[in-house]
Amino acid sequence: MKRTLTKIICLALACMMAVCAFVSCNGGDEEYVIGVSGPVTGVAAVYGEAVRNAAQMAVDEINEAGGLNGVKFKLVFIDDKHDANNISTNYASLVEQGMQVSLGTVTTAPGLEFSKYAKQDNVFFLTPSATGDKIPEFANGYQMCFADGNQGTVAADYVNSLFKDQGKTIGILYNSADSYSSGIYTQFKASLDSSITTIDAAFTDDKLADFSGQIQSLKNCDFIFMPIYYTPASTFMTQAKDIVPANAVYYGCDGLDGIDTAIEGFDITTIPQEVSMLSHFNSKATDGMAKEFIDKYVAKYGAGTLSQFGASAYDCVYAIYGAMKNAQDKGTEIPSDISATDLCEILKAEFNGGYTFTGVTGTNITWNADGFVQKGAVKYVVKAANAQ
Amino acid sequence: MNFVKKYLTYAIIGALAILFGALSIAGVLTPSYQYLFEKISISVILAVSLGLVVGFLGELSLGHAAFMCVGAYLGGKISQLIVEGLGLGDSNFLVFILALVIGAVSAGVCGFVIGLPALRLKGDYLAIVTLAFGEIVRVIFTNAKVFGGAQGMPTPRFDRKYLFVIGFLLVLATIAVIQNLLKSKHGRAITAIRDNEIAAKATGINVTKYKLVVFALSSAFAGVAGVLYSYSNFNIQPAKFGYNYSIEILVMVVLGGMGKINGSIIAATLITFLNTKLPLVLTGELAVLQNLFYALILILLVIYNNAPALKGFREKYNFKNLINLIFKPKHDPAKVRDDAARWDVVPTKISMDEVISTDVIIDNYGDNSADIGERGGNK
Amino acid sequence: MNFITNLIGGLSLGGIYAMIALGYTMVYGIAKMLNFAHGDIIMVGGYTILVFAASGVHPLIAIVLAVVFCVGLGIAIEKVAYKPLRGASPLAVLITAIGVSYLLQSLAQMIFGSGTKMVRGLELGSLTIGKLIINVSTIVTLIACIIVMVGLNLFVKYTKIGRAMVAVSEDKGAAQLMGINVNSIIMITFAIGSALAALAGTFYLMRSPSICSTFGSLPGIKAFTAAVIGGIGSIPGAMLGGILLGIVEVFANSVPAIAPYTDAIEFAILIVILLVKPTGFLGKKRREKV
Repeated sequence: MKRTLTKIICLALACMMAVCAFVSCNGGDEEYVIGVSGPVTGVAAVYGEAVRNAAQMAVDEINEAGGLNGVKFKLVFIDDKHDANNISTNYASLVEQGMQVSLGTVTTAPGLEFSKYAKQDNVFFLTPSATGDKIPEFANGYQMCFADGNQGTVAADYVNSLFKDQGKTIGILYNSADSYSSGIYTQFKASLDSSITTIDAAFTDDKLADFSGQIQSLKNCDFIFMPIYYTPASTFMTQAKDIVPANAVYYGCDGLDGIDTAIEGFDITTIPQEVSMLSHFNSKATDGMAKEFIDKYVAKYGAGTLSQFGASAYDCVYAIYGAMKNAQDKGTEIPSDISATDLCEILKAEFNGGYTFTGVTGTNITWNADGFVQKGAVKYVVKAANAQ
Repeated sequence: MNFVKKYLTYAIIGALAILFGALSIAGVLTPSYQYLFEKISISVILAVSLGLVVGFLGELSLGHAAFMCVGAYLGGKISQLIVEGLGLGDSNFLVFILALVIGAVSAGVCGFVIGLPALRLKGDYLAIVTLAFGEIVRVIFTNAKVFGGAQGMPTPRFDRKYLFVIGFLLVLATIAVIQNLLKSKHGRAITAIRDNEIAAKATGINVTKYKLVVFALSSAFAGVAGVLYSYSNFNIQPAKFGYNYSIEILVMVVLGGMGKINGSIIAATLITFLNTKLPLVLTGELAVLQNLFYALILILLVIYNNAPALKGFREKYNFKNLINLIFKPKHDPAKVRDDAARWDVVPTKISMDEVISTDVIIDNYGDNSADIGERGGNK
Repeated sequence: MNFITNLIGGLSLGGIYAMIALGYTMVYGIAKMLNFAHGDIIMVGGYTILVFAASGVHPLIAIVLAVVFCVGLGIAIEKVAYKPLRGASPLAVLITAIGVSYLLQSLAQMIFGSGTKMVRGLELGSLTIGKLIINVSTIVTLIACIIVMVGLNLFVKYTKIGRAMVAVSEDKGAAQLMGINVNSIIMITFAIGSALAALAGTFYLMRSPSICSTFGSLPGIKAFTAAVIGGIGSIPGAMLGGILLGIVEVFANSVPAIAPYTDAIEFAILIVILLVKPTGFLGKKRREKV
C-alpha cells in the first residue's frame, strides 16, 4: 500500500516537472517587450550592468510618462557571461518571453551569434555597445555605437592628419585576444599612412596586472593609440606614469570612456600624460542631455558603472521608442501584441526613412542602410597633459 | 534483469532521442529546449570521453577543451569552405559527417601527440602539461588569421530541429564505443594500469600503447563534440576553449563519480542544465547569485558524494535505493559486494603511491556495474 | 638599459608569482591537493586592504589586517570545504576548491560590485639611478620574497611544527602514529598558504592598484605553473619557478612581435622543462611502491 503511494507520488512529481518544463509563458499582453542579452557575471560584468541599469532607467521613465499611447514597455535582460555559446538558449527564451524588439547584446562576440538568430526570425535590434563590423550585417540589425572598423579608420585619419610624412613612430597598445580591441587595431593599421611607423604592444588579458613589458616597448613613444577598455587602460596608465614621457598623448576609442568615472579610487589627475579619446559620450558633461543622464544615473546606481555603455543603452531605448512613436504619428497601428517581425518592418522603414534621433550620445543621429550609425565623433580630451 | 541493466542507458537515451525528435518535428518542442539538448549532448560526449582518461586510465587531464577546440576549428573550417564553395545548405548531412571525421581525426592526432609526454609524466605534472597544451592551442587559434583570430570564425549552423537528435545519436555512439572498449580485455588492461601501473607492466601489459590509445580516443571524441559545437553555433571564438572550460568538464566527471559512465552522463546533464537555466531564473539584480548557487551546489554535492563521514548516510538514502523502493528488485543473496574495492574509491595517480593495491577480488563490480557490465570472472 | 629594467621588472613580478607558488606548493605538499581557490584568497586579501585603506587605517596596519583576515578565511575554508573530504579522492577536493573559488568570486561581486576599484595608499614612488627608473615597490617585493623564502625554509627545517609538516608530507599515516596531529598541521599549512596569498596580493596591488572580483585567477594559474616548473612540493623550487616565469613574461611582453604569444611561450617552456626533468627543477622523484 505504502509502496503504491510512493509510486503515485513519484509519477505525479515527474508529470508536474514535465509540464513545468514545456510550458512557455508569454509576457503580459499590455506591454511591448524589449529583450537584451549581456554579461552581468564574469569578466565583462561591469559593461552588462551599465547597459541593464541604463536601459531599465529609460524604460521606467517612458512608462512613468505613460508609455507609448498608454502601452508600457518591459525590459527582459538575460545574462550571457560574455560567452557566445549562451546566445542560442538566451535568444530562444527571450523569444519565449514575448520579445518584440531587442537591444541585441552588450558585447561583440555574443552579438555576432545574436544577429544570426535575430535575422532568422526578423527581429529588429539596435545594439548599444556591440561594436563589431558584422553586427549590423543583416537588414534588421542596427548599432548605436560606432563600428570597430569605423573607429579604426577615423582614428587613423586623425593620426594621419597629425603625423603624416614626419617619419614619426607611434605606439599602439591593444588586447590581441579581444575581438573589440583587435578589430579596431586591424582596421587602424590598414588605414594608417605608410610614413608612420608603429610599435605594437599587445597583451592578452584585460585583467592583466603587470604591463611592465609593454611599457618598456612603448616608453619612448609620445603618442600611444590604445583601442582598449578603460579597465586595463587605467592599470597601464598607473604603471606607466613615471616611465612614458610626461608630454605623451594617450588616444583611445569609445572603450576608454569611463576611465575618469567608473573606476573607484582611480584619480586621473595623477596621470601626467594627456588622455583623450574618440567617443560619442562625455562622462563629465556639464550641460545638455548628457548631464541630465549622468545625474539621474549616478543618483540611482552610483558612479561605479557609469560609462558610454549605459549612455548608449539609454539612447537605444529612447530611439526605439521615438521611432515607434513616429510611425504611430504617421498612422501605423502598433498594437501591444504586435509580432516581432511586423514591428521589425515598421522600425526598419523608420530607421531607413530619415529618422533622426537626438539623445545623450549625440544630436541628429541617423542610420545608413547598412545599419551603421551616423553621428559626430568627437575627440574628447579627458584630461590635458600637465603643464610642463 | 541483467540484460535490461546492460542496455538501460542506451534504451533511455534512444527513447529520449526518438521522443524529443518526434516532438521537435511536430513543432511542439520549444527552441530553447532544442538548444538546451544540443548543449547537453555536447557536454555528455565531453564528460564521457574525459571520464575515460580520468576515471579509467587514472590520469588527470586539464586540457580537454583544447582537443575540442581543434576539432571544432578544423571540422568547422572545412565544412564552412565546402558549404560556401559548393553553395550547399548549412544542414547538409554529408558535409557534417565529413566534418565529424576530420574533427575526430585531427583531435585524435593531437591527443596522440600530447599523449607522448604522458609516458614520462605522472599525476599533477601530466595535468599541468595538458593545461599548458590547452592554453597554447587557444593562443595559436587566437592569433591565426586563417581562422579569424580573436573575432572568431563563422561556421555552418545545423537546423536546430534535427541537430540535437544527431547529438543524442553521437552520445549513444560515444557510450557504445567506450563501454565496449572497457568491457573488452583492453578495458581490463586500462583499469589495471590505473590501479597499479608497475604491476600492470609486470603482467605484460603494454602501458605505453594503452595510454596513447586512450588519450587519442578520448581526444577524438572531444573533437566530435567540437564539431557538434561548431555546428550548433554560427561563430566560434577561441576564448571559449580556455582552461576554465576544461575544468568545467572535469567537474562533470568528478561529480558523476570517477569511473562511472552513467554518473558522468547525469552530472553533465545536470551542470549544463544549471548553467543554462540559472541565468533565466535569476534575472536582473539577482544575476549575481548564479555563481553563488552554482558554487554551493557543487560544494554540497561533492561533499555529499565523497565525504567519508557521510558514507552510512549515503548508503541508506541514495538514488538506487529510491529506485529499488519503486521497482522492488529481486534480492539476490549470491551477489556479494565488496566495498573495499569500489571504483570511485580508487583515486587517480595523484596519490597513487598512497594506495595499497587491494582490489584484486574479481566480482566486486557485480552490484554497481551498469557501466562496466560483466567482468571476466562471470563467464 | 632596457635589459636591466626588464630584468628588474621580471624579478619583481617573478617574486610575486613565487610567493603565490609557495602557498600552492606548501598546501600541495601537505594536503596533496591542488588548491584552485588559492588565487581567490589573493583577491580577498586585496579587497580587505581596499576596505581598510579606504577607512583611513595606515596601509601597514591594513596589510597586517588583510593577512589576519586571510588566515582566518583559509582556516575556515579548510574546515568547511576540505576537511570533510579528508580520505576521499584528491580530485573531489579539487572540485570543492573550484567551488570555493566560484563562491569567493561571486561573494566579492555581490559586496563590491563588478567594477574595477583602485586601492590608494600603497604607492611607494620610484627611484632614479642614472637613466634607470626603478619603482620602490619592485625592490620591496624582491626583498620581501627573499625574506619569506628563507624564513619558510628555516621554519620547515628547524621548528617543531615545520618538521612535523615534512613528516606529514612524507607519510601521513606514519606521522600520525608518531603522535603528530595531522589535522592541525594541515590547518597550519592552510593558514601559512593564505597568509602568503594575502602578502602576494599586497605586492600585486603595489605594482598595479586595480582590483576586481576575478583579480586572482590569472596570477593563480601562473603561480600554479611556476610551482610545477620548480617541482611541486619544493619551497626553493617554487621561488625559482616563479622568478623564471616572471622574467620570461616581462621579456616576452616587451618584444612587440611575440607579445601576443606570451602565454603560449610560458606554457611551452613549462612543457619543455617537464619533458627534460619530469618532476620540475627541484622536485623530488618519488619511488613508486607496488
